[in-house]
Amino acid sequence: MTRGTPSAVPRRGAHGALRQTWTVLGKELLDALRDRRTLVMVLLSSVAIGPLVLVLISALISGIEQRAEARELMLAGVGHAPTLVNHLQRQTYAVREAPADWEQQLQHSKLADPVVVIPPDFEARLARGEAPEVEVVGSSANQRASSGMRRVVALLEGYNREQAMLRLAVRGVSPAALQAMQVHERDLASPAARAAQIAGMVPFFVLMAVLYGALNAALDTTAGERERGSLEPLLANPASRAAVVWGKWGAVASVAMLIAILSCLSFLPGQWLLKSETLAALFQFGWREAAGFLAVLLPLAGALAALLMAVAIRSKTFKEAQANATVVVLAVSMTPLITLLSQEGEQAWHLWVPALAQVALMRRVLQGQAIGGFDIALTLATCAVLTVLGLAYVARQLRAAAWR
Amino acid sequence: MIEVAALRKRFVQGRGRKARTVDAVAGVDWLARDGAITGLLGPNGAGKTTTLRIVAGLIEPDAGAARVDGIEVARDPRAALARTGVLSDARGLYPRLSARENIVYYGRLHGMSADAAAARAEALAAMLDMAPLLDRRTEGFSQGERMKTALARALVHDPPNLILDEPTNGLDVLATRALRDALRRLRDEQGKCIVFSTHIMQEVERLCDEVVVVAHGRTVACGSVQALNARAGQADFEESFVALAFGDRAGERGQGAAQHGGRP
Repeated sequence: MTRGTPSAVPRRGAHGALRQTWTVLGKELLDALRDRRTLVMVLLSSVAIGPLVLVLISALISGIEQRAEARELMLAGVGHAPTLVNHLQRQTYAVREAPADWEQQLQHSKLADPVVVIPPDFEARLARGEAPEVEVVGSSANQRASSGMRRVVALLEGYNREQAMLRLAVRGVSPAALQAMQVHERDLASPAARAAQIAGMVPFFVLMAVLYGALNAALDTTAGERERGSLEPLLANPASRAAVVWGKWGAVASVAMLIAILSCLSFLPGQWLLKSETLAALFQFGWREAAGFLAVLLPLAGALAALLMAVAIRSKTFKEAQANATVVVLAVSMTPLITLLSQEGEQAWHLWVPALAQVALMRRVLQGQAIGGFDIALTLATCAVLTVLGLAYVARQLRAAAWR
Repeated sequence: MIEVAALRKRFVQGRGRKARTVDAVAGVDWLARDGAITGLLGPNGAGKTTTLRIVAGLIEPDAGAARVDGIEVARDPRAALARTGVLSDARGLYPRLSARENIVYYGRLHGMSADAAAARAEALAAMLDMAPLLDRRTEGFSQGERMKTALARALVHDPPNLILDEPTNGLDVLATRALRDALRRLRDEQGKCIVFSTHIMQEVERLCDEVVVVAHGRTVACGSVQALNARAGQADFEESFVALAFGDRAGERGQGAAQHGGRP
């Protein structure tokens, strides 16, 4: 009787562990990439949605621009105010009579412009020197109409000024007496900063893309492995737990990083689709911005991968893990709100919180500001700490998870 | 050779006030020789799976030791695992990988080169009569096909020892016969030390050189089927098993209570 000797002697030490890490990484990556249906859904939802939203915003803004260019004004009672109509026409505005049911149309957002209501005794009161009342009607629930309110009010103010000057001139007073000072508007925000307001939601979409990119793979390599019962045989291999955990993390982080890269790059062609010329000029997302985004996102992808794995390893089934991971998803998706809601703007401590720091830094990139080496190093360090803590927890739980 | 001596493992279930301890294994002893098939026979919940998990290094025992070819598993689990093939209760294949990829993955984890692992997968497929399965994804495999793949995976590093937890669960007659045949050949041609757990009498009668009867976490009896029949004074092995495992149940319980009471 011959007795077999093991043909494979496990190599000890750093070299063997590294090779095992690569083996696990390669297998998990292959496994994740074979999960075509999930992968396609993640790619579609996370990579395509950002540019899609950008295009929608651009369509909205270009619609507003078109209406501003059209220079049209709706009056209810055009015939009551020939002088006002004359003034408006001299400002090259086309004056139209509002439809009969304009009030309803405004409420149901069918009318895109505010309506100016002229009283029947407009001309008579004007002639008597009594100030006739003119109403500008919009609806704050009707976003399209309310955005035009300011413009219409300014137009009517112009008529007021003209009339006042004419009356003063009749009395021999210089029009300059009416103006104690001259007011000019100057906007300090650079074009890039203005664009960042519009593009403020871009970091949010990119963040979500990274999160959902990591989610499925992280859950599949931990809770999924438990559910299939493949964790127990896996740990009956002489591979070290560290090699298994690092390998799994490497695969999950790679998928998350791939999604991060794709979603960042998707904004490059995305901006060619911008309809509005102003928006296209304002939202500048070039290779430099993409590189800045990736510098802050890639470490986060690693940290989120570790965090999700740590949450999921306690769950026996994929479904249970999904429920538990909701906490992480919610926390990460809420972070952009902190910067939006806080009155003081960006705080120093924001940079110490993963996800919050990434959003803050991505905003800076969009505003055209340079991000400092210290800030990058800080986010890298917090993400590294989070990664190591998460993986240490996974390693600790792994053996118990195999049979519980 | 696998040796299990005075093994004890106690689990705590629940938390806080509801917590209660369960003695999953309370003194199990057995020895599995090379070139022999040893069966762990016992009712459900007797501690068979826990014992095998301790041998596979998944659980650390509270007391006692499991040794594989003289290596204590708790001290050097990786050296012990390098000499053991494990087929666990859950077959746990990766559904998106082909059978070949499943087998080669484990070979790589055992430190084999890609070529060596691939060659071994071919050889094992020929031995287990599963060559046509190799390049199919394991998703949708039948129980028998799953078992063959998992067995090939457990044998990829050609371990001298093989432990199987309830290997015939869910298998039909033909698959069970194929497994029995494979295990006999591994014993006779390669002199492997094979341990498997089961609660099915026929399996043990047909296959085992040595039977270890386990009940309530303890080794109740061991020996060949004939020896156990002789000891129980029964001609039928099932009768022998019932007599050995449950016959002196009242006595067992009394003993257990005395033991618990004696502990602080």
